[in-house]
Amino acid sequence: MGILERNSRNIDNRCWNPGIKAFPVKNVYTAGVAGQRFFEELKENGKIYGSKCEKCGLTYVPARIYCEKCFDHLLEKDWVDVGIEGTIYSYTLVCKTKSGGPKEKPSIMAAIRIADGLLIHRLGDCREEELEIGRPVKAEFKPKQDRTGSIEDIMHFKPL
Amino acid sequence: MNKKVAIVGLGFSGFGTTTPDLSYREMIFEAATRCYEDAGGIHPQAIDSFVASSEDFMEGISIADEYVPDQLGAVLKPVHSITGDSLQGLASAMMQIKTGQQNIVAASAFSKVSNLSHHEHLVSYATDPVYIRPFNENPYFIAGLEMNRYLHETGTTRDQCAKVVLKNRYNALKNPGACYGARLELEDVTGAPALSYPLGIYDMSGHLDGAIVVLLASEERARELTDKPVWIKGIGWATDTPNLDSRIEGMGSAVYAKLASQQAYRMADINNPFNEIDFAEIDDTFSYKELQHLEALNLCGPGEAGRLLELGCFSPDGDIPVNVSGGSLGAGYLHEANGLQRLMEVILQLRGEAGPRQLLDVETGLAFAWRGVPTATGAAAVISTRP
Repeated sequence: MGILERNSRNIDNRCWNPGIKAFPVKNVYTAGVAGQRFFEELKENGKIYGSKCEKCGLTYVPARIYCEKCFDHLLEKDWVDVGIEGTIYSYTLVCKTKSGGPKEKPSIMAAIRIADGLLIHRLGDCREEELEIGRPVKAEFKPKQDRTGSIEDIMHFKPL
Repeated sequence: MNKKVAIVGLGFSGFGTTTPDLSYREMIFEAATRCYEDAGGIHPQAIDSFVASSEDFMEGISIADEYVPDQLGAVLKPVHSITGDSLQGLASAMMQIKTGQQNIVAASAFSKVSNLSHHEHLVSYATDPVYIRPFNENPYFIAGLEMNRYLHETGTTRDQCAKVVLKNRYNALKNPGACYGARLELEDVTGAPALSYPLGIYDMSGHLDGAIVVLLASEERARELTDKPVWIKGIGWATDTPNLDSRIEGMGSAVYAKLASQQAYRMADINNPFNEIDFAEIDDTFSYKELQHLEALNLCGPGEAGRLLELGCFSPDGDIPVNVSGGSLGAGYLHEANGLQRLMEVILQLRGEAGPRQLLDVETGLAFAWRGVPTATGAAAVISTRP
């Protein structure tokens, strides 16, 4: 056992680049029962919904149809309008693009604490000194006609 | 179910930032060849079962587990893959022996990350497609969020994180299998551009190609195969919620590491890890992760890791040497083979085969791996020279 002969010149090392034969499958992603309604509320009413597990006393944001702690169903009655304000739980200045290259201007991503959930979103329209954990922020929505029923119907959160 | 399980063979291949001459399967073949030779020249026909750890998108082949057998000598044998870190694969291999189902089992893992054009896209693809991916951001922003929260909760400083980079890259200078060894100054790390502030580009480990194969055996077979067995005393693994929106505790601390290590310590009958573990090889994919993991693994109290690091507690001559190999920051990050890479150093140290970085009088070591962003999965193994 063992490798008897090895390539020792880079110029001889071949690899197959699939080009147009690369992974051809495209996916769509089902938002699901909870996601469907959560995004409808963002789009139609500019509201953020969570769901409260009565047993655990936890309010999930975004809303869900089950509690991940006690596995109870979260039903229609458990949906709660949690408002559009929260606090910065953590934030980061993203300085690289998705492909790893430099960004002209960093974007600010944050975990926004709303009830017992952390909505991951952008911070915008803010000064650097306003970036601090614990600071209250408020969602700013796109104009209604531009909303598509996506997490990006919220433009960003703005420090208060 | 109380059979003792030994590691009787270790082999590796690659360990370069690129490996243009070998396909990943040839790399595993080479690692397997070395492993079987290390176990006294066993032929794979004498091995009962095989476990690989992998992840389809790294290979670029769907159902990649079907491409596992031949490079391990496992054609027409029991084989399966664990889509997880290779310490989870090790646990699976170990259970096959503990149950008495098999006597000799090989476990393998590899990284051929240099074949990927943009690893970040793969990580991004692992984030929630409805709530996270639409932002189209560099996925390591999640590490930036975690680091900032960890610093906030514990009072750990940015400089203390940078000192993890200094320690591990310096340690790597004594490891011939490490690709990122360097003697750096604090400003080299803190003054470097940000990846996702407060996380700098040098706070993240660099990529590495490589394959590792280990051979496990029951006590009776281990004694026949080698005179230098090391023993798996305890193993554990755990996963926190995949949903970033409910990682309230998990954003600032490594809950998965706490739970995984509690399992492993319980099994190994370890009550006070600080006193009973001689050294540790733990995940340092990002600088802050080493500190966060040290605390979660109960090798120090909450928020103490940074200060103890500065006191030299985790240096090669400290109370608990941590990542003497250089860790992922110094050696390079092997993706799903991260766990076997941590384990490999523990095996070498316990056998006394770690060369210039050999620690003296070590009997019990801890290996701990995390599956990286965006996961919250960790696996821990306690390894000892004593059965």
